[in-house]
Amino acid sequence: MASLTIDNVTKSYGQTQVLKGINIAIEKGEFLILVGPSGCGKSTLMNSIAGLEDVTGGRILIGNADITQAAPKDRDIAMVFQSYALYPNMSVRENIAFGLEIRKVPKVEREQEVQRVASLLQIEPLLDRKPGQLSGGQRQRVAMGRALARRPKLYLFDEPLSNLDAKLRVEMRTEIKKLHQRLGTTIVYVTHDQIEAMTLADRIAVMRGGELLQLGTPQEIYDNPVNKFVAGFMGSPAMNFVPCTLVASDRGLGVEITDGAGNPSWLPVPNAERLGGYIGKQVILGVRPEMITDPVPHKAGEAMVCEVPMKVLVTEPTGADTMLVAEVNGVEINCRINPGYSTPVGQVVPLMFDMSKVVFFDPTTEERIDRA
Amino acid sequence: MNEKALPLPETGSVRPVALSFQDRLAAQLPKLVLAPTVIVTLVAVYGYMIWTGLLSFTSSRILPSWKFIGTAQYSKLMENDRWGVSVENLIIFGGLFILVCLVLGVLMAILLDQKIRAEGALRTIYLYPMAISFIVTGTAWKWLLNPGLGLQKTIRDWGFESFTFDWLVNPDMVVYCLVIAAVWQSSGFVMALFLAGLRGVDQEMIKAAQLDGASMPMIYRRIILPSLKPVFFSAFVILSHIAIKSFDLVAALTGGGPGYSSDLPAIFMYQHAFTRGQMGLGAASAMVMLGGVLAILVPYLYSELRSKKNG
Amino acid sequence: MVKPQKTLNQQLLRYGLYVLLGVAALVYLLPLWVMLLTSLKDVEEIRNGTLLSLPGTINFDAWSKAWSGACTGSTCDGIAPFFANSFRIVIPAVLISTLVGSLNGYVLSLWKFRGSEILFGAMLVGCFIPFQVILLPMARMLAMLGLANTVTGLVLVHITYGIAFTTLFFRNFYVGLPKELISAARLDGAGFFFIFRRVVLPLSTPIIVVCVIWQFTQIWNDFLFGVVFSGAQTQPVTVALNNLVNTSFGGKEYNVDMAAALIAALPTLLVYVLAGKYFVRGLTAGAVKG
Ligand SMILES: Nc1ncnc2c1ncn2[C@@H]1O[C@H](COP(=O)(O)OP(=O)(O)OP(=O)(O)O)[C@@H](O)[C@H]1O
Ligand SMILES: [Mg+2]
Repeated sequence: MASLTIDNVTKSYGQTQVLKGINIAIEKGEFLILVGPSGCGKSTLMNSIAGLEDVTGGRILIGNADITQAAPKDRDIAMVFQSYALYPNMSVRENIAFGLEIRKVPKVEREQEVQRVASLLQIEPLLDRKPGQLSGGQRQRVAMGRALARRPKLYLFDEPLSNLDAKLRVEMRTEIKKLHQRLGTTIVYVTHDQIEAMTLADRIAVMRGGELLQLGTPQEIYDNPVNKFVAGFMGSPAMNFVPCTLVASDRGLGVEITDGAGNPSWLPVPNAERLGGYIGKQVILGVRPEMITDPVPHKAGEAMVCEVPMKVLVTEPTGADTMLVAEVNGVEINCRINPGYSTPVGQVVPLMFDMSKVVFFDPTTEERIDRA
Repeated sequence: MNEKALPLPETGSVRPVALSFQDRLAAQLPKLVLAPTVIVTLVAVYGYMIWTGLLSFTSSRILPSWKFIGTAQYSKLMENDRWGVSVENLIIFGGLFILVCLVLGVLMAILLDQKIRAEGALRTIYLYPMAISFIVTGTAWKWLLNPGLGLQKTIRDWGFESFTFDWLVNPDMVVYCLVIAAVWQSSGFVMALFLAGLRGVDQEMIKAAQLDGASMPMIYRRIILPSLKPVFFSAFVILSHIAIKSFDLVAALTGGGPGYSSDLPAIFMYQHAFTRGQMGLGAASAMVMLGGVLAILVPYLYSELRSKKNG
Repeated sequence: MVKPQKTLNQQLLRYGLYVLLGVAALVYLLPLWVMLLTSLKDVEEIRNGTLLSLPGTINFDAWSKAWSGACTGSTCDGIAPFFANSFRIVIPAVLISTLVGSLNGYVLSLWKFRGSEILFGAMLVGCFIPFQVILLPMARMLAMLGLANTVTGLVLVHITYGIAFTTLFFRNFYVGLPKELISAARLDGAGFFFIFRRVVLPLSTPIIVVCVIWQFTQIWNDFLFGVVFSGAQTQPVTVALNNLVNTSFGGKEYNVDMAAALIAALPTLLVYVLAGKYFVRGLTAGAVKG
């Protein structure tokens, strides 16, 4: 295991710059997740780390070794691909042992390693099959087995679970988490799945258009996003963005909102001291759906909590919660409601806004304006 | 942004892992592997084309001479009656050959696409001529079409005494013999192309049309055949390519005769360049043939590339 | 389930369809059948009968004469020596052009580099040019190399102009392989040739078959290169056949002509019958270019 340092890495294809100076450093044993919209350069970054593509500028270090120029085989990295990329003509056993064979590991040791990996992933009965005879989940395991067999310094996973059905995906996610905890491996992992990112990562890197927007723990990214893009990207359903004006009143700093039925209300705002410059100006309020709920008695009376009447536009029961759509200042917002709470469509019901974790963005730059 | 300084390892301790000489060499391997072919192509395709092009501007006869005489060979070519006949023949032969092959090919493909019981066997029969050399085809049809003992005699012997079929020895009709033999050889191939195309048509589209109440002939005419436009296009290009290059068939079936009434440019070129010691003229005719192929090919490749970029 | 009743009309249409297809099949088979009949008759029977009249007694005299006694231009040893020539040309030319094509295709699909697409396009031109434009310089070049009128020279020519096709076949096949396969193998530590041998080649059987069949048919059936670049002793069978048919001393022996033509067609017909599926695939793959 080793730490990974990506130091100002750039990558261009001809005129188009695909990576625009990426800086990431993770510790030995850390689980880093890369997220970002399609085409933002995640796979390119992974391929650059693996040496499958040359970088245009910058350095990549594994531990203390500068591997920017090294050949892929000398980097001691294993990669698991979305398509698994198992060698179709080789048995599972040969697939797992292929890297060892090339590295001239003696046959006996190879077989031991195959056995170790197979028992780790519970694929012993499959060892003599060809990849074509395996189910999707089994192929996925074999692909991981192939990566594990070499005990490399660093693992790269490029959307390893996205070809599995929902149930298997959850199972494998748990299994990867367990493996990581047990083996303490350093992992870089790309996913489009919010929950995968939140549950697996020690740290998340959010990318957009070849740039790294934010690198932080899942909680940091979720609670304290650097800009509107990051805020909207993580979390499902996404954070609500409400355009409003900051007003100073005798109750302190707050925002005024109007619901779909035309009822005006006033909501308090935390961290007023950081927003001084924006009083009287247009801002974008960011509030997560779970912070708008049915009135719960134990929160009532807290400083940042208020009850507001809202007209119900749509309700979407999901089982555990009901998502309620209301309208505020002309935009639709999602609220997470206890399914037991009666919310007839078209009626006005009281909802509870918890403003303690709201965030604010500049409407033009979309950057955070209240960040510590 | 990511303002915090990176916890870089101390500079002194960083050890660069460089590429070894072998690795550098290995990185060039793909180019090295391709190099011989690239060189051979450069020389034997492009170099030779230029060489022939240059030759066509010289007065070369039996041996190449590098005395340039401008476009004299081309003017000579245009005035040459035999060349005129061969180009005219090519237009008749090529046009008919392509047309008949396309019509027959599409028809047979559609008929074969009706869930025919013995489809595999029939397909095999229609296509086997494609496996045969044009020389064999020519030899066979020369026998079939010869008026003395072939088809004409057979039918006369069956009682149709006045039946005449002497195209092979009739200078006005001999070019149609070429068409018959060439169609026999290549129409099965066109059929195979279209059959593959038909099998690739989206079945749900057809079902939707059927639900809309369209009849099968209508569906073929309005939906299926238009969607096979690319197949028409490739078939056209391949057939015209075969037609322009046609050499073996003429050599075996008619030898260019009677007289030179069934000459094609490929025969003209061969005879002038190799047996009549008219290298310059032969080279000029080859260049005109190249021009003909390019005139068909460039638009085709252009549209191929464009559709690929858009798609 | 009730089977929908076919109307009488549909039934008739169906019969008509089969009749039409059957007649077409007969037309396509006719030349081959006539060739076979003719080759089994003697000259007398040919003169007196029709194309379709059956031979009185089946005799293979014409076949043996075509094989070992008929005159082909300057010699009268039948087409056997030229049949052998064809094999001597075809085998190395097919093997080498297939091997080179597979390596080229491997590079052009899975190891692309800057400009490789342009190189591929430039190579493809070799599939399209009318060979008349390269005949004269090629003849000069072979003479300069001392390879004029040799089997080796002919093999080289066939390789040179076959590579464009074989490269196309393999490239189009290999672009269908996932690129990650190569990435995974590279991370596993395998190099260019090792990946080719251990990962890519074992997956290539179908395209190798297609390519070998295509090249075999093309080169066996070639006449143009044969007639231009070979000498009296090194002619391929197509050239010998043409000479045999057009050699005219004594009476025309159509039975011998037909037997010789059948012999010349036999290898490719055999390949077609045994591996027709791959043959068709090659034709259509060669057709749907790019
Ligand atoms: N060989 C190439 N030549 C030119 N541009 C490329 C090439 N490969 C990738 N790109 C471009 O680089 C950008 C980043 O691609 P990349 O595959 O890294 O995205 P990604 O974040 O992995 O997307 P996804 O989530 O869809 O996998 C894309 O805009 C892509 O079009
Ligand atoms: Mg990707």
